[in-house]
Amino acid sequence: MLDTASRAAGRQRSPLRRPSTPTLVNAGVIALLLLVALLVLPQLLSLYYIDAMTQVAVYSMVTLGLGVLVGRVGLVSLGQVAVLAIGAWVAARLLFATAQPYPVILLEAGVATMVLGTLIGLPALRLRGLYLALITLMLAGALTVMLATVNFPNGGHGFFGYNGSAVHIPAIRRPSIASSDPAYFRYSVIVAALMFLLAALHIRARPGRAWAAIRQSEPAALAAGINITLYKLWAFALASFITGVAGGVMAGAVHYLYSINFPTQDSITLLAVVLMGGAYSLWGAIVAALLLQLLPALLNNWGVSADWLTILFGIGVLQVLTTAPAGLADQAPKDLARLGRLLLGRLRKLTGSVRGSQ
Amino acid sequence: MIEVDGLTVRFGGVTSLDGMSVTFERGTCGLIGPNGAGKTTFFNVLSGFVRPAAGTVRAFGEDLLSMAHFRRARWGVRRTFQTEQAIEGLSVFDNVALVHEHSTLPGRTRRQDVFGAISFVGLAADPSARVHTLAAGERRLVEVARAVVGRPKLVLLDEPAAGLPDEETRHLGEVVRRIPGYTGALTILVDHDMSLVSACCETTAVLDFGKLIAVGPTAEVLRDDHVIRAYLGTADV
Amino acid sequence: MPSWQDFQPFIVSGLALGGAYALSGVGIVVLYQATGVVYLAFGAVGAMGALIAWSLANAGTPGWAAWLVCVLFGGAVTLAYGMIFGPPLARRDPLVKAVATLGLTLVLFGVMDLLWTTNGGQSRAITLPTDGGGFTVGQVQVTWTQVIGLAAGIGIVVVTEVFLRHTKLGTAMRAMANDREITATLGVPVRRVEAAAWFGCGVIAGVAGLLLADLVALDATTLTFLVISSLAAALIARLRSIVVTFLAAIAIGLIHDLLTPIQSLTNYRDMTPFVLAAVALLVLPRDPVITRSREEI
Repeated sequence: MLDTASRAAGRQRSPLRRPSTPTLVNAGVIALLLLVALLVLPQLLSLYYIDAMTQVAVYSMVTLGLGVLVGRVGLVSLGQVAVLAIGAWVAARLLFATAQPYPVILLEAGVATMVLGTLIGLPALRLRGLYLALITLMLAGALTVMLATVNFPNGGHGFFGYNGSAVHIPAIRRPSIASSDPAYFRYSVIVAALMFLLAALHIRARPGRAWAAIRQSEPAALAAGINITLYKLWAFALASFITGVAGGVMAGAVHYLYSINFPTQDSITLLAVVLMGGAYSLWGAIVAALLLQLLPALLNNWGVSADWLTILFGIGVLQVLTTAPAGLADQAPKDLARLGRLLLGRLRKLTGSVRGSQ
Repeated sequence: MIEVDGLTVRFGGVTSLDGMSVTFERGTCGLIGPNGAGKTTFFNVLSGFVRPAAGTVRAFGEDLLSMAHFRRARWGVRRTFQTEQAIEGLSVFDNVALVHEHSTLPGRTRRQDVFGAISFVGLAADPSARVHTLAAGERRLVEVARAVVGRPKLVLLDEPAAGLPDEETRHLGEVVRRIPGYTGALTILVDHDMSLVSACCETTAVLDFGKLIAVGPTAEVLRDDHVIRAYLGTADV
Repeated sequence: MPSWQDFQPFIVSGLALGGAYALSGVGIVVLYQATGVVYLAFGAVGAMGALIAWSLANAGTPGWAAWLVCVLFGGAVTLAYGMIFGPPLARRDPLVKAVATLGLTLVLFGVMDLLWTTNGGQSRAITLPTDGGGFTVGQVQVTWTQVIGLAAGIGIVVVTEVFLRHTKLGTAMRAMANDREITATLGVPVRRVEAAAWFGCGVIAGVAGLLLADLVALDATTLTFLVISSLAAALIARLRSIVVTFLAAIAIGLIHDLLTPIQSLTNYRDMTPFVLAAVALLVLPRDPVITRSREEI
């Protein structure tokens, strides 16, 4: 037995370096989708749908952040919309107060949100599953109330930058290279792609492996020497950063921000679509964003009430939870992402058989 | 060498460990006792999952209990669990590398050390295979590989052969016997399989109701009247 | 800083509100103890019941019948949810069970907005006959509804304590809270006890829905998320003690309403339950044992 193992080990000179066929196919599909999004969609879609797809790009980052927390680490946050609001607030304030270039502002919004998210997350991380989720709900609720009073910056002065009596409110500016709606859509897709890359890099490296251990069994993770608090904080920091950047992109997308656009129930629908799209896979985040922002736009266009979607999402949550055998972050969930995976699998088999015949 | 002195653990009204004092010198030592005797609790104290109400543990001259739990693994405490806990979502290689990369060991030697541990336990599976695709026996071997990679000082094995067929139990026994030689670590084996314990351990300690009732060369301990009584539960001989 | 006289009416309204919160909080705690489910849909169920009662009353149904329908609706929906989704999720982590009730919340929320949309700008209100009459304490008017609010809170605590300690069903529920599996082996009809717990909690939700619709507002969103205030009280009690839930709920109601006349803080008074719950959660003692969770979230 020992000989075969060392022989196998010898053969496997770099099991992790050489990109395997599934990874190449994955990369190919991603590149293709990006090209379609950047080049084809802006030409094809009307402004109404460009706007919806920009929201999809923004929310795909939010669902990405929540997906990392829920799917990779096993932490449920019921307050991500409040985090998005913080990012949007910081970005709006800086956009009005300074003339800094857009990417810098996005970074600052991300970092500020990250710092806040980490500070708030630190004491909360002592709590287990249910209590952690509930405290995020409580903290988000508190933030929402504060936001309703403080309001979003609208070009006013002072720390809060809110002018309550202004008649003409200036619009939040956009980057000079992306001021039109189609151009801003491309801009948001690129930012989203960068955020996905950031998350993917984390998942493939040490944090991702530590998170996998923590999610399955905290004692096993501790026994392996993993500092659980540190890695949970890291996950919170990453999710907050990404969501903060998303808030910044949203500020430019909508031009005018109102606290009523960030209600508590959105955090719940957010969790619902993340579960339905598949919390574990990065593709699931995109599916979730499409559910959250494209479907309502479609329904609205067809004259169907968005309430049907809320009902659908509620049923979706119940379906996912009762059928997913291993939990919320099932790696082979019986949900929409599975369809995508099936298709990808077919593609792989196709390319595999093509290679085999060469 | 591990010196345990007056270790006491209480959970509510139950005293799981009652003033346990024992010294484990070197090599592979057995820790046996009927169910509920406190063996896993003892391991949990060593791993840092449970805080004792009283007592000290000195391992290789250092106060183990004052270290934070995740730091103990870095220091050199490794363990396997009663219900096998290899991380399903990761590959075999990543599972073993996990321990290595969270220790003080240099990254340069990681691949070498990991492959070394995998071949030491005799795991023939593809190192890049996901653990959830492996059979129970192979997953146990992954756990043991994680316990021996790098330079562990203390290896705790909690019923590593539980639920495995004879052939795999025998193989595990051979692996366990070679651990002190391969790693230089002190190994403590908890198990109910007496043939495994006899085959692997030079000395054995026996726990019953949280108290140490015997310690010494394995063959003698297994013949001891008190030990037999503890397992059979008879008050009179 | 407002004067003592300015505060007085808010003491009364705060106590009434706190009583209603206590009613909800106790319902949540008892159900959690019996089934391990944090019933986050509690508010939505009460909201929909209140809206149904409003529609029925508008259509000419006598008041008491409309309220009865509301209460029965609460019980029926909650019982149905418990019987359908309870068993498949019974062994899962409490977090999973709680998130599942969020699914129910969304469904109810969507249905409410469909059937009783607020897009027309119309606002609805529930008036209970007890709104009219009342008495005066010092210089403050107290309506009977407010008395009922506080009385409901006190009453549910007394009734529940008696029920849990002195009835067979209540003892069975306490046993189940301790260990469901062992209780089943003792011959206790676990399913039936659970059904009773679900139905009872649903009935409480219906009553709380009516009260809060009267005391606060008859608005789907407001009532659905008002559960968070009651939940805050339950969390302060660590989802365990009914008396602490009551005291916490009264405190939340009082502090919330007492902040109303204070100009500098009035805008932030809705933060009260969130802040109190967050502080209480963070001050919880650390677990002495790290439990293994093979149960993924």
